[in-house]
Amino acid sequence: MSVQMEDNQLLKQATSPKTRGLLRVIILALIAGAAVSSRLFSVIRFESIIHEFDPWFNFRATKYLVQHGFYSFWDWFDDRTWHPLGRVTGGTLYPGLMVTSGVIYHLLRALALPVDIRNICVLLAPAFSGLTALATYLLTSEMVTSPSAGLLAAAFMGIAPGYISRSVAGSYDNEAIAIFLLVFTFYLWIKAVKLGSVFYGALTALFYGYMVSAWGGYVFITNLLPLHAFVLICMGRYSPRLYVSYTSWYALGTLASMQIPFVGFLPIRSSEHMSALGVFGLLQLVAFVDYVRAQIPNKQFQTLLRALVLLVFVVAFGGLVLLTVTGVIAPWTGRFYSLWDTGYAKIHIPIIASVSEHQPTAWPAFFFDLNMLIWLFPAGVYMCFKRLTDEQVFVVIYAVLASYFAGVMVRLMLTLTPIVCVASAMAFSQILDTYLDARKPKVPAKEEEGADVAKVAAAAVLPEGLRSTRGPVIGIYSYASKLTVVGASLVYLLLFVMHCTWVTSNAYSSPSVVLASRLPDGSQHIIDDYREAYQWLRQNTPNDAKIMSWWDYGYQIGGMADRPTLVDNNTWNNTHIATVGKAMSSREEVSYPIMRQHEVDYVLVVFGGLLGYSGDDINKFLWMVRIAEGIWPDEVKERDFFTARGEYRVDDEATPTMKNSLMYKMSYYNYNKLFPAGQAQDRVRQARLPAQGPELSTIEEAFTSENWIIRIYKVKDLDNFGRDHQSATAFDKGTKKKRGSARRKGPKTLRVE
Amino acid sequence: MRWLLSLLLLGYLSAVQALSVAGTRLLVVLEDGAEREKYGAFLGDLEARGFHITTEAPKSDSLSLFKHGERTYDHVVLLPCLAKGLGPALSANVLLDFMKKEGNVLVALSSERSTPAAVQSLLLELDIHIPSDKGALVVDHFNYDSTSAADKHDVLLLPYPTTLKTGVTNYFGGDGLIAVPRAVGQTLGNESPLTAPILRAPCTAYSYNPKDEADSAEDPFATGSQLNIVSAMQAHNSARLTVIGSAEMLQNAWFAEKATLSGKAVKTANRDFAEKVSAWAFKEVGVLKVGKLVHYQDEGVSKKVNTSVAIPENNPKIYRIKSDVTFAVEISEYDKTHYVPFVPPEGDAIQLEFSMLSPFHRLNLRPISQTANSTIFGTSFRTPDQHGIFNFRINYRRPFVTNIDEKRQVTVRHFAHDEWPRSWQISGAWVWIAGVWVTVAGWIAFVAVWLWSAPANTVKKTQ
Amino acid sequence: MPPKHRTPATSTPAASTTPRSTTTPRSTAPTQSPKASKNNTDAQRIVQDLWSSYQTRTSQRTKLLDTFLAFLILVGVLQFLYVVLVGNFPFNAFLSGFSATVGQFVLTASLRIQTNPQNEGEFKTISQERAFADFVLGSLLLHFFCVNFIN
Repeated sequence: MSVQMEDNQLLKQATSPKTRGLLRVIILALIAGAAVSSRLFSVIRFESIIHEFDPWFNFRATKYLVQHGFYSFWDWFDDRTWHPLGRVTGGTLYPGLMVTSGVIYHLLRALALPVDIRNICVLLAPAFSGLTALATYLLTSEMVTSPSAGLLAAAFMGIAPGYISRSVAGSYDNEAIAIFLLVFTFYLWIKAVKLGSVFYGALTALFYGYMVSAWGGYVFITNLLPLHAFVLICMGRYSPRLYVSYTSWYALGTLASMQIPFVGFLPIRSSEHMSALGVFGLLQLVAFVDYVRAQIPNKQFQTLLRALVLLVFVVAFGGLVLLTVTGVIAPWTGRFYSLWDTGYAKIHIPIIASVSEHQPTAWPAFFFDLNMLIWLFPAGVYMCFKRLTDEQVFVVIYAVLASYFAGVMVRLMLTLTPIVCVASAMAFSQILDTYLDARKPKVPAKEEEGADVAKVAAAAVLPEGLRSTRGPVIGIYSYASKLTVVGASLVYLLLFVMHCTWVTSNAYSSPSVVLASRLPDGSQHIIDDYREAYQWLRQNTPNDAKIMSWWDYGYQIGGMADRPTLVDNNTWNNTHIATVGKAMSSREEVSYPIMRQHEVDYVLVVFGGLLGYSGDDINKFLWMVRIAEGIWPDEVKERDFFTARGEYRVDDEATPTMKNSLMYKMSYYNYNKLFPAGQAQDRVRQARLPAQGPELSTIEEAFTSENWIIRIYKVKDLDNFGRDHQSATAFDKGTKKKRGSARRKGPKTLRVE
Repeated sequence: MRWLLSLLLLGYLSAVQALSVAGTRLLVVLEDGAEREKYGAFLGDLEARGFHITTEAPKSDSLSLFKHGERTYDHVVLLPCLAKGLGPALSANVLLDFMKKEGNVLVALSSERSTPAAVQSLLLELDIHIPSDKGALVVDHFNYDSTSAADKHDVLLLPYPTTLKTGVTNYFGGDGLIAVPRAVGQTLGNESPLTAPILRAPCTAYSYNPKDEADSAEDPFATGSQLNIVSAMQAHNSARLTVIGSAEMLQNAWFAEKATLSGKAVKTANRDFAEKVSAWAFKEVGVLKVGKLVHYQDEGVSKKVNTSVAIPENNPKIYRIKSDVTFAVEISEYDKTHYVPFVPPEGDAIQLEFSMLSPFHRLNLRPISQTANSTIFGTSFRTPDQHGIFNFRINYRRPFVTNIDEKRQVTVRHFAHDEWPRSWQISGAWVWIAGVWVTVAGWIAFVAVWLWSAPANTVKKTQ
Repeated sequence: MPPKHRTPATSTPAASTTPRSTTTPRSTAPTQSPKASKNNTDAQRIVQDLWSSYQTRTSQRTKLLDTFLAFLILVGVLQFLYVVLVGNFPFNAFLSGFSATVGQFVLTASLRIQTNPQNEGEFKTISQERAFADFVLGSLLLHFFCVNFIN
């Protein structure tokens, strides 16, 4: 539907014969097709399955929405997570994603196409990536006159691994639709600024509202647009168009965003949104002053007005600071602090630092995710500096901000990718336009290189761009140099396509619910322990058996095993997570009352020692300890888990605290029985385990999956005869109590009753 | 389902005219013949009360407490035997397993026979301690029977036990004196809340071993009322273990014997006491049953609590915060032949907890009404301003009555979006509602005027 | 299309002065208090000039716009005073009430800017009718959000 609309616009833009417009439409359709199909690796390799962790929750929520309807979804109180607190799910999620797939589901139903909701969820991200490519085309076309840049950008966006990483089929996450909305909102914003139109401002606000409903990253837009406006004002580029577009966006967009229950009053309460409000106020002043200046000749008066503006600004800023200090406006949240000070989270909020996607980006990741775009990107930004129009200022600001954020958090690579695609497409199209500028329209016959390359090359060859570079620019006439440069460019593009394909198929298409390994003969072997264990839970435990596990697996247990969990990936309650961390990292005698209090029936741990699966709980264990230490610094101490030499060990030299912790015991319980005596080997940590394995008394092994990745333990009931579990187990094993051993010690304790 | 089952069970039980709710299959571990004769009256009384008694000698091949993992007996009586050990079928582990399956055990000790190792370690596990040396017995130089134990002072004459403490029903009260010949005293660990004394030794009693060479007892095992003659232990699953310090108490010889206490001739009331103890031990008394448990949202109208057995508990699974909830539960107590309405003893009450991690409410349940064989307790309260997964919980654990631990999980949800007061119901919002509508009205007026004034403008523009 | 910096149109008679401009001297009076005596008559003269030129030069529609703007400012100020004096108990009601007024104000101001003949160079693609249609669309959206938000 929206594709149709955009296509119409494209056709309108085409200045000359319809064939050109048609060609462009075909190219864009092919790009969208390539974008979609390159994301289907995971479905082909594995199966149509929801990936990873968060998507499982989104999937579950979507199913709830489809089953119970929108209103009960809105009021959904989920009593199967965060036991026993529950979660006001309807009011604490971004509903955009679920509602989108719900709408698609019902739409298809109405069209008599009953598609399983799971397939809609699996394929939503690829479908939206096609739309993202189109939006990128539109955005880039607004930036430069050459339409080849737009087509190139669309192609880049379609296959850039930085975006694919979060949008392969099955990766049913908020980002799946949010990136499209991000790019499209930016496109509308640029359009609004260019035309000074309330209509486009309102559209921007609407899509901004949609974005707010879909992803927490909307704050990026909330800050980028005001920054753009602010920079324009500071550059002396204030124009009535800016006033019209910004104020209509802000007034409508803020109200739109407040309609989302999860966001609520945040737009006027939290510091993250204050810059938008501040710029809104500033724009009123500037507009007013501008207006008055137009009316009044007196120069002295103007300086006074300037002073007034400055004064008001200072007072407003002071007031803001004051309000923040007094607590009327919520200060910056921890996640945002960690954007400025990368060490902040590690010290103050271990829960945020523990998430792998919140880690600072390693520099190879940039090259891995963006390949050659990363060195074309600065060239594109430089080109924006050369002709600094309003929209190119936007590109520069976006580029600078997104680069910084992407360097701080791996996850924000996602916001960087669109601008990288846009900027490098601008640079690349400049090269191609220059070198393909043939007075005699001779085109190097090198285009038929395979689908993607052909498209890209075709995009570059379109004569539309040639006209724009005609004029003062002196072309290059030597065929030799043209051929060299164009040939080199084509090689680069080819390499880029190959890299993207390789990265997509190898790095980003694993569902991480199912693991794949290679057998010695090279064939693929599927390790399906997760689903095996969740299936076991589903079939062998009562429907309301409470499962305790580290929060990483909460969504999966909820989604696949359909059992209540204590904590899950929505890390809204740090204390509750710390409680689980404490139970995992303490001795059994300490853990047991905690588990009883929380009515835990089963404990699930992930253990990779047998298989060499490094993402297991022992490797995450230190985070549990740290998070627990944050709440109970006297009872859990990280230092106790390290040996005297500061090593984290699991073998004979492990500290007593480590060996007695519930997590250690659960991981290695009975493990040594798999090996000849004294030969037990942990393949992840390359350690030889103690000959004597750990003993459990308060819990008992219930299930261990085929490759020992998932181990499930049942929490025992209170001992029937009021004994503690240690002595009960000892008695069952045949160790008799020494008669009257307690009696002989010290004075008698008398029973008072 | 539960009440149906119990109804069936009740019907079945009354059909065979049995007394215990826990079943009638009773195993007495004892050598046949002369030994059995000694306890003839006691066992006869039991049989008369409806128990089917099987007598097996320890170490007998046919002796097995379990068959295919299920109990083959409901109750076991361990009387002192001639044999030293009890054999593999009656090890401490087996006996504990028996109790884990809700079997009841009555152990009688004797100072003349050595206590089998299995019983010793069983008692030790249950935190009941007996003297380690064989032959130790309880003597009292003030409350002895001067007829039979004029010298040794080892036959005690004790009154019936009184109430253990306020709020506890006394199932063992009576009138008369109980003869306790040569008892093995027990002490109870002070940590276990599961154990309770039934019959305590008087404060002048002490435990000593006559075989000791010393003239006076130094460092006695225990003295005074720390020393129990009969003690009880009730596990979490309400399986009962009763320890009788003196097996002789149960013998015919002492059931109605003439005795003399400080010169007064009395008649021992052992038969009655033995009946009371065994009735408790085999769950003929002190058994509580929870019938129907209902909770529902109070909707203002007086809604009758539905206690009909035919209608199942159809309780809501979800409540809202700050809503009124009424809770009612039906509890009956078994009294030898049938269920009667349960009345908590003076100074005690059944409490309801409404808890999430910790109780948000802990309320005394008031008796609302009575049926033929149950009392209906109930209370009303308002759900707290905290959403989450809560439990209605009754956790009633008292000595001598079976435990009640009933839990019903409910979800307490937040206000739904349409349960908040609408803006016009809040007078404070009227100003801003007016603000919105004034703006809208102004806008409409403006648009109208604008459109109306259009022609003049275009003319002006064309000039 | 780089935006030219608009030079103050001093020689060309200004199209209009909003009612706001009458408040200008008042609002800036404290800041220029040291020079008040010197500027006093000056300012008065300016104001009078502006007012008369406003009366004569402003089109009917712009006057209408200005009246509406003044009305909105009045409503907004009243609501704000009420908040300061009484408090913002149903916060969502206050927000939607106040932001309806503010939003309507900026939309109307946008319309005024767009229809200002002086700004025609800036808004080449937007005709008067288009501007009005956009304005109606934006306002309808705004009203919908506000009414929805006030619940």
